[in-house]
Order: sequence, then structure tokens, then C-alpha cells
Amino acid sequence: MAQGDAGEDRRHQVMAWLHRRAENIAAGLLAVMFLAFIVQIVFRYLFNFPIGWTSELTVVCWLWLVLFGSAFVLGERDEIRFDLLYGAVGRRARIAMAIVFSLALIVLYGASLKASYAYVTFMKVERSSYLHIRMDWLFSIYILFLGAVIARYVWLLLRLLRGKDPEAPDVTQVSSGL
Amino acid sequence: MSPFALAVLAIVALSLLGLPIGHAMIAGSLLYFWVRGVDMGTAAEQLLNGMNTSYLLLAIPLFILAAEFMNSGSIMDRLLRFCNAIVGRYRGGLAQVNVVQSIIFASMSGSALADAAGSGKLMQSLMTRDGKYTPSFAAALTAVSSVIGPIIPPSIPLVIYALVSDTSIGFLFLGGVIPGLLIGAVQMGLIAVTAKRRNFPVEAAVPLARLPRITWEAFPALMMPVILLGLLYSGITTPTEAAAAAAAYALLVSALLYRSISVRDVYRSLVTSSRVTISIGMLIAGALVFNYVITVENIPKTLSAALQTYQLSPFMFLLAVNILLLILGCFLEGTTILLVIVPVLLPTAHALGIDPVHFGVVVVVNIMIGLVTPPYGLLLFMMVKIAEVPLKDLVREVLPFLWVMIGALALMTFIPEIVLFLPKLLGYKG
Repeated sequence: MAQGDAGEDRRHQVMAWLHRRAENIAAGLLAVMFLAFIVQIVFRYLFNFPIGWTSELTVVCWLWLVLFGSAFVLGERDEIRFDLLYGAVGRRARIAMAIVFSLALIVLYGASLKASYAYVTFMKVERSSYLHIRMDWLFSIYILFLGAVIARYVWLLLRLLRGKDPEAPDVTQVSSGL
Repeated sequence: MSPFALAVLAIVALSLLGLPIGHAMIAGSLLYFWVRGVDMGTAAEQLLNGMNTSYLLLAIPLFILAAEFMNSGSIMDRLLRFCNAIVGRYRGGLAQVNVVQSIIFASMSGSALADAAGSGKLMQSLMTRDGKYTPSFAAALTAVSSVIGPIIPPSIPLVIYALVSDTSIGFLFLGGVIPGLLIGAVQMGLIAVTAKRRNFPVEAAVPLARLPRITWEAFPALMMPVILLGLLYSGITTPTEAAAAAAAYALLVSALLYRSISVRDVYRSLVTSSRVTISIGMLIAGALVFNYVITVENIPKTLSAALQTYQLSPFMFLLAVNILLLILGCFLEGTTILLVIVPVLLPTAHALGIDPVHFGVVVVVNIMIGLVTPPYGLLLFMMVKIAEVPLKDLVREVLPFLWVMIGALALMTFIPEIVLFLPKLLGYKG
């Protein structure tokens, strides 16, 4: 038993460490986006030399930030969800609800994996206009996103089936930008 | 059941069950593609291309970052001292300070939640010290005054509206100025009336001799809206670049001038901002996929045609939209309403000859009011946590403000000039 706890502890530590690294990456992407804009403004107005690659870089950072972050940085508690019901019901009902939505997500996202992969790899024929990066590379984050989200919900489902409570959502943690 | 009805049902059911709304929209759309026999890779295509071409959306993370930089530096303290020097001397002075501070902060930040998070704690301790105001009144006031944030430019919801409606962000921002001031004015009016009745305290008047110094200390912060709007309307930068410049300015002022922000603070601001960005971004991503389904099904045009058979007047339509959104705002998160409900209403508004800038500002004011309407109001939840007051007491104190704000909303709904006066002054053709 004690050994199991130790194993659980170590797993928590590893997950927490990985999560902090994921946060580093997200913060880094945002920082790059911010700096690229500043560079763009400085070059256009101070040096009178408009550059195009910065706007491409910022858009790529934005796409990657959202998809990477949604897969690896956001916790269950940060997500924007409709929690009037989910937050109010008892533990057993919440477990049942979470089992239903996890299953639905796994089935639907899973069913789209093949076609999504086909779309992303098909995009190898195009390159981005300034940086000339192959579009299948830029878009590959979507496959990573799908895979990670499916894996996460499979993990959540397994926990739920063992009767572990999904965390009750904390509405004050919701990060809406409004 | 038609595939579209099935998709809507799936999205509603999955959201009700508690799946994050962005994922629910993607999942429902995938179900639609599956049942219709459409390539399921369409979701990937819509999401990736939509995110990759919506340059305007990049303003959102940058406005969030700017607000975070301001909140982690001492800009807020200086602003409060400045506001207190000006309106603290009147009855209910600190309550008025709360509103004035929100108006000024609104012209630097595009987010109501950022305003409440930034000033909430400080305002709460100032207002409740020595039992001057009840904790629930102070918390209610911070919640309702924060609503002004995204109405006065810059504004994150107006950026989202510009995206879904293809309206000029510059004119939308201008359109928000007078309505934002109007909301502030009705709040201050209500405070003045309540202050007499409830005998609110007066703050010791700050001697006029100290005013220049206090103003000087707050000056770099007060310059921020001037710089931001200057960049925007002189055409020097695009709106997105102006957002980046605002963030850079906030960072420079905090770091170099006020020396109140450390490298650690900067990193923390980046992490917090990226979290907020990710959750809105996910919602936008889901809406991009689902809006494709809505477009394929021709829903907005169908609705517009159906409504036209009723011969609705623009007046009746706007009234109906306001009531609908106020009700939805009690239950739904505002970004979702903007991204999913508003695009469906836009063609009808257009067919009825309603000005898109007017419509956008009215819709955003409405959605902002939704942030303080129970049972689901994000600003209420935030203040419950910051001020540690029961939701019930908070709601009781919010209600009078809610009524005057709805009054102001009605006014700007039916007198379009309140919104359109400034944009027209600066060349908006309507």
C-alpha cells in the first residue's frame, strides 16, 4: 500500500514537472508573439522597412499556443464550460455525466483522426508565404492536439470508471477574456 | 432528425453535461460531418485555416497581456490615488473613486475580469476599512463598474464582434466611448442618490496643492489611452499592433519608470495571459468549425427570411434581441454568445437596415451586463471569491445597478446616435 502511494507521489511529481515545462512553452510562444509585433512596428516606422515574416510568425504562435495549450496547459478547472448543472449536482451524478461526455469526445475525435491526418499531410503541397515552411509541419500541431486530447479523456474516463470524482469546477478560475 | 438538429442537440447536451464548450462545438460539428457523410477532415481544415488567417484575433492575447502587465505593476495604485484626489471629497467619495478608476482603466484594458481582478482586492480593503461601506456593497460596486472595461476601447468582445461581423474595429471602438461613459454616469448618479440615503462617508479632501504631484505620478499611466487611441486613429499602427504597443508601454512604464515589476512578475504575467488566451482561443476554434456548419446549412439567411415574413420593425427586432441576450446572458458565457448566437442574428439586422456598429456596441453592452446577472455571472463569482461575501448579499446590492444599466442600454438601443455620434464625427459613413 505504502509503495503504491510512493508510486502515485512520484507520478504526481513527474506530471507537475511536465506541466511546468508546458507552461514554459506557452509563455514562450506568447513572448515570441509579443516581441515579433514590436520588431514589426519598429522596422516599419523607425527604419521604414516593412517586414512580412513577423506577421506570419505571430499567427503561427497563436495557432500553436491555443492548440498546444489546450492539450497540455489548461487543467480541467480552467476550461470554459457550462457548469450550472455540472457544478451543482452530487458526486455520483457528476461522475456519470463526465463518463458520458468523455465517451462522446473519444468516439467523435477518434473517428476524425484518420481524415484529419489525411488533411494535414495533404497540406505538404503548400508552403507558407514568407517563411516557406511546409504547411503540413505548421498544421501538425492539430494531430498532436487531437491525440493528446483523446489520451487525456481516456485517462479521465479510466479514473471515472474507478469511481474517482472529476474535480468540481471552480467558476472563479474560468479564464474568460471578457 | 436532420443532421443539423442532431449536431445542435449534441452540442447543447454535451455542454450541459459539462464538456468544455469549445470541445462540445467541435464534437457536435464532427457528428454532423459524420452523419452527412462529409469528410471529417473538414473540421481540421476549418479550424486550422480559420485560426491561421484571422490576424485581427491576435489583438486579444496582446490586450490581455497589457492588462496583466498593468495589474502586476503599481499602475493601479497610482490611478486610485489620482481618482481619490479628484472625486474622494464628495459624499460616497470612495464609491465614486471605484467607478472613475474603472472608466480610466477601461481606456487601457479590454477586459472586465482583468479590471475586477486588478483593482478588486485593493478597492475592497479601502472601502471596507473602518466599516465605511458594507463588504457586499463594495464588492457589488467593483463588479458593476468593471463592466465598463470592454465597452470603452480597447475591447476584447468588440474585437470578436468585428471578426464575426466584418465591421471596422476602429469605428466599433469609437462607438463604445459614449456608451461606456454613459454607463459610468448612471452608476455615479445612482451612487450619489444612494450616498445621501445611506449616509455614505466623505473622504478627507486631498489638498489642491498636492494634486499636481499626484497627477504627475499617475501621468505615464494616464497617457496610455492617449497613446493607444492615437496610434489607432492616426493609422500609424493596425489595431493588433496597437495592442502590442499598449502591452510594451505598460511593461516599460512598470519596469523602468515605476520600477515595480520584476522578471518573475513578467513571467507570471505571460503564464496567466497565455492561459486566458488558450481558453478563449479554444472557444473561438470550436466556433470556427461550428459556424462553418451553420453557414453550410444557410441558417442565418433562413432565419432572416422567416423573420421578414413577420414584418418586424428594426425597433421590435432590437428590443427582441436585447431581451433574448439578457436572458441568455444569465446562463451562458459571453464569448459563446458573441461567437455563436450573434452571427445568426447579423443577416436579419442587416436586412432591417440596422447599423452594424450600432448593433455591435449594443450587443456588447448587453453581454457585459450579463457578466453581473445571476445565476451565472463571471464577475459575481470573481467578487464572491475576492471579497469573501455571500453571493446572495452581493446580488442584492448589484440589482439597483443592474436596473440603471438596463435603462442605459435601452437608451443607446433606441437612440443610435449615442453610439454613432463619435464614429460619424471621424468619418464613419454608416
